[in-house]
Parts: sequence; structure tokens; C-alpha cells
Amino acid sequence: MKKIMGGVFIVLALVIGIVPSFTDCLSQGLALTTTTGLTVPMKCHWTAVASIGVGIILGLVGIFTLLSKRNETFRTLSGIGGVSGALAIAFPTVLIGVCANPAHYCNMVEKPTLILSGILAITASAVIFGASRKNMEVVG
Amino acid sequence: MNLFQLALKNISGNTFRSFVVALCALLLAAFALFTTLLLRGAENSLRLAIDRLGADIVVVPEGTEAKVEGALLMGVPTKVWMPQDVVKKIATIPGVEVASPQLYLATLTGASCCSVSNMFMIAYDPQTDFTITPWLMQKMGKGLRLGEVVGGSYIFPSEGYQNIKVYGYLVTLKANLEPTGTGLDQTLFMTFSTAQDVSSKSTTQALAPLEIPSNSISSVMVKVLPGSDLHAVSAQIMQTVPGVTPIESANMFQSYRKQMTGLLKTILVVMGIAWGLSIVLIGLVFSMAANERRKELGVLRALGATRRFIFQSLLAEASLMAIIGAAAGIFIAGLAIFLFRNFIMVSLGIPFLLPSAGVFTLWVGAGLLLALFSVNLAALLPAIKISRQDPAVAMRE
Repeated sequence: MKKIMGGVFIVLALVIGIVPSFTDCLSQGLALTTTTGLTVPMKCHWTAVASIGVGIILGLVGIFTLLSKRNETFRTLSGIGGVSGALAIAFPTVLIGVCANPAHYCNMVEKPTLILSGILAITASAVIFGASRKNMEVVG
Repeated sequence: MNLFQLALKNISGNTFRSFVVALCALLLAAFALFTTLLLRGAENSLRLAIDRLGADIVVVPEGTEAKVEGALLMGVPTKVWMPQDVVKKIATIPGVEVASPQLYLATLTGASCCSVSNMFMIAYDPQTDFTITPWLMQKMGKGLRLGEVVGGSYIFPSEGYQNIKVYGYLVTLKANLEPTGTGLDQTLFMTFSTAQDVSSKSTTQALAPLEIPSNSISSVMVKVLPGSDLHAVSAQIMQTVPGVTPIESANMFQSYRKQMTGLLKTILVVMGIAWGLSIVLIGLVFSMAANERRKELGVLRALGATRRFIFQSLLAEASLMAIIGAAAGIFIAGLAIFLFRNFIMVSLGIPFLLPSAGVFTLWVGAGLLLALFSVNLAALLPAIKISRQDPAVAMRE
């Protein structure tokens, strides 16, 4: 089960790291123009940049989950995976945010993708944590 | 060890096999719930939109039915015109209780003088209106004054602003209507006088003026007298008023209904194939597992387990995997449709509204039952076969 969840982590890491960069408003050709004529990316772009970091961490967690054998390591990895999932949810909702217009692509695709992937990452972490605890009880 | 514990032990004993069966149940339940939510949500949305319009018959200029339906359903602005005297002609037709005109307008695209680009706007006559005014009277106790507007559930002023800019004219949003999942949620409602005021001031305040052709309207909302024959009134409108098309409320959004029927047929075929393949795959996995565990089950029989116990333990194992898989599938499908509802609406071009909690619970139950039934059906044959084998033969092999 833990190995399967390791694979799930890797898939989610790819989604979290890649999808936002192609679904933010900048990728759709939308940006803010200041009075001086400078083009500034909107909030959703910085959420996409931050998500790449979360994706890398979650990907590493997935690889280590596939390679690990010790229950202590699984529990630590599940903790990091859970925090990464929470960050994936927090970036578009609380920490950075996305554009205010609900019709913007970032609101329709980027934000839901990050929230869904974050929830699934937290769920996968909980499964790994539960499975590693159960194995400890059997061993003990 | 009871039946449940044995089933749990068998599930954790072969993780990959259990994962495959649970994955099939997951996909089956998720697909079933997703499509049901989508189609029922669209139907629910259409019904609500018709209720919101509140008209028994909508009269539009001849040949513009699809444009008007598209505007009301998907919020795609349209400009259609017919002479204003049509209202008087319709109002005098026997069986017509009220005939109220409306103007269909739109904000400019990508212009700084409009807060929202290409937004659909409906102007109504407060003297005869029966769609927005009763709701306003109930909610605010008064109608809209000059410069005041009502918006669909998606209409709100930009961050840091209190008003919405329309053709350089600042209108005050007084209230928001309940969501319908259609274009009405992205529509701004105002009175004729506000629309005319915006139009007259737009010549100096906007990048391009709001043009309302004189003595023209876009549609007429008709309410018939209780007990009147809707078809007869429609036919009378067709005969009496040339150049218009009456659309009865039951026939509203016909093109979208046809589109949804086509979608439903395709989904049913795909679902049927997916269901059949899942059952075959689960049956195959269970057959392989039953053959693998021939010796183990033979020992159980030799230790005193009855055929019935073996049969029940295999079905309990199947049921547990079905419930776990289906629960995960329903969770993912429900979450996905909730989060991606706007994207689905835009990409599929259909209206959508989430169901009430009660209806949703009913569908979740139906999804679980479908997965439970399918997995048990697939596991039935291998379970019968293995429970009937002779323990001595099984242990010798």
C-alpha cells in the first residue's frame, strides 16, 4: 500500500508542479499593466511559481517512499507529504491567492487543480501514516 | 477469527490484487457519480433558469431563438431588436395576462470604461415586469431607482470599489439573485430608465456609446391567464404579430436539451462498456486469486470451515474492496465536480448547478450500491467454484 501511495505522490507532484504554470493568467496572455507601461504578472502566476517548489518536495517524498523500508521513515515522509499537500491548498487560497475574477482561467483550473491535488496528497499521507503505524503494532 | 477479520486479512495479504479490484470499483463509482451529477445538474439548472424568467411564453424576433437562448443560458451577450409596438399587440391577445418588454444589452469588450468586459445586461420595464420586480419587492420592499442594478450571483464590484462601471456610468449593485448555474448568474438587471440614462451619458463618458435603437425592444415576457391554453395563445401571437417567434417555457432551451440528450446517450454507451470491462477484469482477478489460494482454502475447509463460510468470506472480501474503492471514487468525483464546475460549464457549453445535500446523498448511496453490486457479481462465479471444491483434492494439488 505504501509503495502505491509513493506512486500517487509522484503523480500528484507532477500535477502540482506543472499544471499551474500552464493555467495561470500569464500563460493565457493576461497581465497587469502599470501606469508606466510596465507589465506585471498577477497573483496567480506567483502561486504557480510557488507550486513548482511544492511539486519538487512532493516528488522527492514520493521517490523516498518508493525506496524506503523503515516505518519511521514512512511516518516522517507522510508528515512532509501532508504539509506539502496543505501548502498546495494554502498557496491559491490563503497565502498568495489567484485573480478575483471567477471567469479567469486561474480560478477555473489552476486553483481547483491545486486544491484537489493537495487534498489527495493529504489523504495519501494519512494512508501511509496509518499503514506504517499498523505495521509497528504487528511487529511490537 | 470471524468473517470480517478473515476478509480484512486476505485484503492486506495481497495489496496489489486488492488495489486493482478497488481501483475498478473506484473508477466505476466515480464515473457514475460524475456523469449523473453533470447531467442532473444541467437539467436542474435549465429548470431553475425557466423558473427565474417566470414567463409562460418568451416572444423574440423571428430567427433569433438560438441567440436569445444562448444569452439567457450561457450569458453570451446578444443584440436583437423588434418594434416596441409588438408589446401592445401581444397584450391585447385573449388569454394574455401581462406582456412585459425587455432590452438585451452588453458592456464593451476590453474597455476601461466598463468594469466587466462583454457582460450581458437585461433592462426591464418596472411598470409591467413580473420577473425581477416581485423578487425585489419581497427582498428590499421597493423597486430599483435610477442608477441602481441587481446582479446575478457572479456579479460583484471590483476589489476596493463600491460601484460597477458600465459605459463610464457608475451603477450601484443593490442585491444579488440566487444562483441558477446559467448565464443569468453573470447578467446585470436594470430598469429601462437606467439603461436610457447610461445610453445618453455614454456618448461622452465611454469609449463607444451604448446604442439602443429608438422604439425597439429585444423580447417580450408573456404571462397567460390561469386556465388559458398556452398553445392557443402562442398560435394567436404567431398569427397576430408578424416577424416574431413565441417560445413556450416548456420548449425553452430545446437546442441545449437535445445536446444533453446526445451527451447522455454517449455517456450511457461508454458507461456500459466500462461497466462490462470492469466486471470481466474483477472476475479475472478473483479467479486468479481463487486458484492461488486453493490450498489455503482447502486447509480452512479441513479445519472445519463450511462451504458457506468460504463462499461468504470471499464475497465479504469483494464487498469490502468495493466499498473502499467506491467511497474513494465518490469522494474524488464529488470534489472534482465541485471544484471544476465553472470549467466544466465553460468547456462543455452547458449550464450546471450543484444538487441539494439530500439529492447528493441519494446519488452517493446509488454509486456505492452500483459498485457493491458490480464487484459481487464479478466475484460470484469464482466464489461458487472455489467453495465447492473438495478440500482433500485442493490440499494435494
